[in-house]
Amino acid sequence: MPDSARPLPGQVAVPRDIGFVDWFFDVGTWTDKGGILDSLWETVLLCSIVTIVAVIVSVPIAAALAHFGKAEVSTTWLVSISRAVPTFAIAALLVPWSLRRGWGFEPWPIFIALLLLALVPIYLNTYTAISQVPDGTVDAARALGHSETSILTKVEFALGASVVLSGIRVAAIQVVATEPIRAFLGGDGLGRYVRDGFGQNNDTLVIGGMILIGGLAALTGLIFVLLERIVLPPGVRRLARQQGDRTR
Amino acid sequence: MQHSFPDPESQINASRAAIRLSGVTKEFRGSAEAAVADLSLDIEEGSIVALLGPSGCGKTTTLRMINRLIEPTSGTIEINGTNVADIPAQELRRGIGYVIQQVGLFPHRSIASNIGTVPKMLGWNKKRIAERVEELTSLVGLDHDLLSRYPDELSGGQQQRVGVARALAADPPVLLMDEPFGAVDPIVRARLQDQLLELQSEVRKTIVLVTHDVDEALRVADQIALLNVGGVLEQLAAPDDLMRTPANDFVRTFVGEDRWLRRLHLNLVSSLPHHTGPILPIAATFGEAREVLAAEGVSWLGITEDDVFLGWVQASALDAVEAAGGSLADLERQLPAAQVEPTSTLRSAMELIMVSNTSAAVINEGGKFGGVVTLEGIRRGLAGDTS
Repeated sequence: MPDSARPLPGQVAVPRDIGFVDWFFDVGTWTDKGGILDSLWETVLLCSIVTIVAVIVSVPIAAALAHFGKAEVSTTWLVSISRAVPTFAIAALLVPWSLRRGWGFEPWPIFIALLLLALVPIYLNTYTAISQVPDGTVDAARALGHSETSILTKVEFALGASVVLSGIRVAAIQVVATEPIRAFLGGDGLGRYVRDGFGQNNDTLVIGGMILIGGLAALTGLIFVLLERIVLPPGVRRLARQQGDRTR
Repeated sequence: MQHSFPDPESQINASRAAIRLSGVTKEFRGSAEAAVADLSLDIEEGSIVALLGPSGCGKTTTLRMINRLIEPTSGTIEINGTNVADIPAQELRRGIGYVIQQVGLFPHRSIASNIGTVPKMLGWNKKRIAERVEELTSLVGLDHDLLSRYPDELSGGQQQRVGVARALAADPPVLLMDEPFGAVDPIVRARLQDQLLELQSEVRKTIVLVTHDVDEALRVADQIALLNVGGVLEQLAAPDDLMRTPANDFVRTFVGEDRWLRRLHLNLVSSLPHHTGPILPIAATFGEAREVLAAEGVSWLGITEDDVFLGWVQASALDAVEAAGGSLADLERQLPAAQVEPTSTLRSAMELIMVSNTSAAVINEGGKFGGVVTLEGIRRGLAGDTS
């Protein structure tokens, strides 16, 4: 066995020929220090913070710009470049910057890179949701004596709620699916299984890591579906279903 | 039914309101010409005034300045003597009903919740809102089953009625309507227009209605303000006066070459000077009958008894019956085919006259004889010629 394949301190240490079932369904694999539960917690924590910050930053800006009908051009522009955000490259470029400042490998480089990834879908969906509200509806709301804030919250947001939520869902799933690159940038989280599996040439770890990451991403999507059921009022849900039917 | 809910929160709390525009000008930034230039207009309380004109005449801008969706560059707008600029915009708007072409219902809220929008903002309790919603539903002629539905489940005409109900919810004294019936088909439009008039006869709001449709203005308005490009008021007049005496060439062209025909729609049989025509009571003599026939220049005669019209008799039959020693009562009578009501339009009277063999229609005033309508009478009536 070449040196490079031997686990280094802090890496996942399992026999190379361990069977997938023996490894994955072993209680210790999950509960040991630095095990799956610890890694899961690291990933969930970072992803949650990134998503929440992205919502706090994106939603108000997009909502205000869409409400006042500004930024139509820059939004279109954002759509076209958003497909090409090189998250890994951004994070990698930020690592030396972070080290220079004495902030270490974590958490800023990966946090900023993931945040940039998450901002775009949330911004775009919020902008679209609000600018799609029919002019007549907004006009009528204003003429009936709604304040601008109440037009934004009770009419535009209410009408676009499901589109905004699905933007957040897409962002959250993307963040969860991308977060494992953190393991290649001096961090841990669920990505460690893929990284260490590669490093030790251990397929069991790679497959296990893949399943965990994919599973968490799928679970994230599911949580948002349930969230939509809980937070959206019936009239808004009904509308969202119809919009779905029309675009299907 | 009680329609007056003076609301303490509304400063326009009278049940009726007059609107006065004085020297109102609106210049939009980046536009050389004013959208509305020095417009002064008095709108009587309880009347329907149509702002009529081609696109670019500033009619919608004018309407939107009344509830401050647009602020005038100069000039003042008063409702019942209060300058609207002195009332906070949201408060003002809650006291003014507003109906637009796109209806603008809230698609995520039920019909009941849509209608109750303003009362809810005014802080009414649930019971009062529910009662008011029920009342309005009946008022605009909507089926109560629709209240739990959503806007997209209703037809265009039904949606428009919900829009009107929502606008009237807090019983505002003023109702602004921007091309309210523009998006529905002509049959539904005519029905909604009729319904608006019916509604108005109950609620007596001050209604300002924007339209580019001459027929709509003629049909529903008490007064028409005809605006030219740049918000220039060309003429303010009652529909019939606008047709009869257009102030200038613009008005003449805008209302169209067939304005005389349009006037047939506008004027009712009751507006004609009372004209009995060749009519005699049954007890009259043959001598009187011949005098009337000669005077009217016709070959037929109507017979009445106790103010009830009995029928027509032919002049040619007079001699034979007189020679046989009979009276007017013995003449063979034809019952009139052409009968109109005082509330019929001149157009429908004219149509009946055209197809009748007597060239006259009898006015049936609740079973009593109310005179006759002839083509000559209609011509004279429209010309304002009472000789």
